[in-house]
Amino acid sequence: MADLPSLTPDQVAVLVPQASDIEHIGSGGQKLVFRGTISGTFYALKFSKLAATPVDELDDFATSDIAIRAKREVETMRECTSHHVVKLGPLGLSFGSAGGQQLVFFSEEFILGSDLKTHLRRDGKFAAQEVAKLGIQIGSAIKALWEFGKVHRDIKPANIMRRDSNGDYVLLDAGFAFDVDGESISVGPVGTPAYFSPEQFEFTNRRTVLDFRSDMFSLGVTMYFLATATHPFWSPGDTTQSLYSKITGFNPLAPSSIVDGFPEPLDEVIMRLLGKSPHLRFRTCDQLITALQGV
Amino acid sequence: MTILVQHGHGKSDKIDEALSAGTVQGVIFAPRNEKPENLAACLQSLANAHQCELLIDPQYYVSAFAPANTRYLTEYPYFHGGLSASDFTLRRIRTIVAEAIGFQINTGATSIISPTVLFDSFTDRWFQIALNLADYSLEYHASLNSGTPLLLSFVLAEEALSAEEEVGRFLDTVTQDGWGMQGFYLVVSRHEGTYNQDCESARLANLLYAVHVLGDVNALRVVLGYTDFLGIPLRAVGASAFACGWSQGLRQFVRKNFLQRPPGGQPPRDRYSSGPLLNSIYLQELQDVFEVGRLDDVLSGVDLDEVITSAESPQAASWNLAVAQQHHWQTLHALDSAFTGRARQRVIRVMGLIRAAQGLYALLEREGVTFERFTGKDHLANWSRALSEFARRVGYATS
Repeated sequence: MADLPSLTPDQVAVLVPQASDIEHIGSGGQKLVFRGTISGTFYALKFSKLAATPVDELDDFATSDIAIRAKREVETMRECTSHHVVKLGPLGLSFGSAGGQQLVFFSEEFILGSDLKTHLRRDGKFAAQEVAKLGIQIGSAIKALWEFGKVHRDIKPANIMRRDSNGDYVLLDAGFAFDVDGESISVGPVGTPAYFSPEQFEFTNRRTVLDFRSDMFSLGVTMYFLATATHPFWSPGDTTQSLYSKITGFNPLAPSSIVDGFPEPLDEVIMRLLGKSPHLRFRTCDQLITALQGV
Repeated sequence: MTILVQHGHGKSDKIDEALSAGTVQGVIFAPRNEKPENLAACLQSLANAHQCELLIDPQYYVSAFAPANTRYLTEYPYFHGGLSASDFTLRRIRTIVAEAIGFQINTGATSIISPTVLFDSFTDRWFQIALNLADYSLEYHASLNSGTPLLLSFVLAEEALSAEEEVGRFLDTVTQDGWGMQGFYLVVSRHEGTYNQDCESARLANLLYAVHVLGDVNALRVVLGYTDFLGIPLRAVGASAFACGWSQGLRQFVRKNFLQRPPGGQPPRDRYSSGPLLNSIYLQELQDVFEVGRLDDVLSGVDLDEVITSAESPQAASWNLAVAQQHHWQTLHALDSAFTGRARQRVIRVMGLIRAAQGLYALLEREGVTFERFTGKDHLANWSRALSEFARRVGYATS
């Protein structure tokens, strides 16, 4: 895993001269995130560090894993028109250097709101109807990505934002998106193990089917966690190995066993999403959405 | 459309009779046993007379059997015999699919069955050929924009069902988004050549699981071919329909039945199909049951039981092969009709039927009735173990 870059707003202003009012707002994964104004609109400006030492030729670092992931994220945002997948901003994939760091960066829609990890920490568990709404909207995001043959592979509360304006949910960070028709860039499992599907652990097995149903599993873990404030698999002290054992072999209690009055149909949907094999989940995203609309 | 006639040699008026009685709801035709012109006429006649399901199994799997007994199959323009694995090139597969599906399109068949080959394992070359045939069948069928839905066909040796992980991978593959079939036509080629209801429990558990995943979880249509009493637990877990023929060779798929063999053999002994015993027993055994005063416990409770009950004794009844064939479908229909509710309830119900049958066998044996090896109770223990394993895997509490 590469380090986060070290950047000041002034350095960002040099790298992105069209942006103004630049402000550091946080970090996520391998990216340092700033907010800036371009043509009167706020955008998120995301920076990743490519290499620890300067590289002379742009082509050398443009083909590194981090650069390819950034390119994939940008392409995904550009192609995907879903209201529930974050949009690319006016600055496309760019390369530059600052403070001796080689950087890849781009802009994306700035969403006024909070990620669901923050929501959960701040406000506690979500109401069942809100969990169903989240499932429908992120289900449609998974569907939209799959229409381009992409599996997000990192769906989790920290990668989902809730818009302050209308309460809608938006999926972020397609940097780990797997393209079923594209070249493989990852030599190991990518994503966040606590939200891995069982098949994500089997990344070395070429016969394993990895499709949008893997994202359904991660969505199921996310919905379970938000509905109950209890992670279905992870507990403090877990290692990747112990998580693997639990995710592939342990059946968590149904949410209704934890939350009084939890609706049975939503219980069934979440538990189906947590099916240990892809064939036990929903065969299409539309089936998932229909099931959730009936909740 | 839950019980279908598995067509074969010597149909006479059996199909019409069973359809008229309402004990079966359709037919799966075997071109191997019917001249092309007769098949077309028969389909037309049944379509005119009955609201029923009409399917044609193209039986392409026979093309790779050697020495195959192809009978009338070679008279069908789509069929080419004597093929080896290396003959199934992608180019050839496209032709096979186009011809086999094209043949069915204008016959009046209510669904199209894709051509396939038999495989012994999910890791062998024939399985890959079967997948290629299925894959191109989907593509070709979609290109036709036909209103007749497609059933993807797979014929697998029961040994293939031993590998739980491989069955899972197969299910992951065929339930992928974009596989736009209505459902599946599945045939399990039995290892045991002797007619009986038994099946090794681990294999049966995997078959139950596969049918449940496809039919109940993924809401696909699952039609099991060449299935006898085993159709009852399979229906409980999610099969849409199963097909059973009039002769023993049409109730279980055995590879040797499609191979050239010397003529001859014994005519089958008279049998009675008992719903309460979940088995087809010999008429002599039914006579023994009668003699210990337990006839009513064993009778299926269907109309044709009258042939037995109106006589002085089972052996004195005018029971013959034709009656027994219709009675068999009546018995399966009566068992099948009792299934309602969700899969969990259906599984509990069928486990109850199995326990009752085991109890009845035990009672009859205590009272001196002796059953032969393949008409006895052995299959029930395997069914019960398989259902328990299935219930454990899908998280059903059944007790």
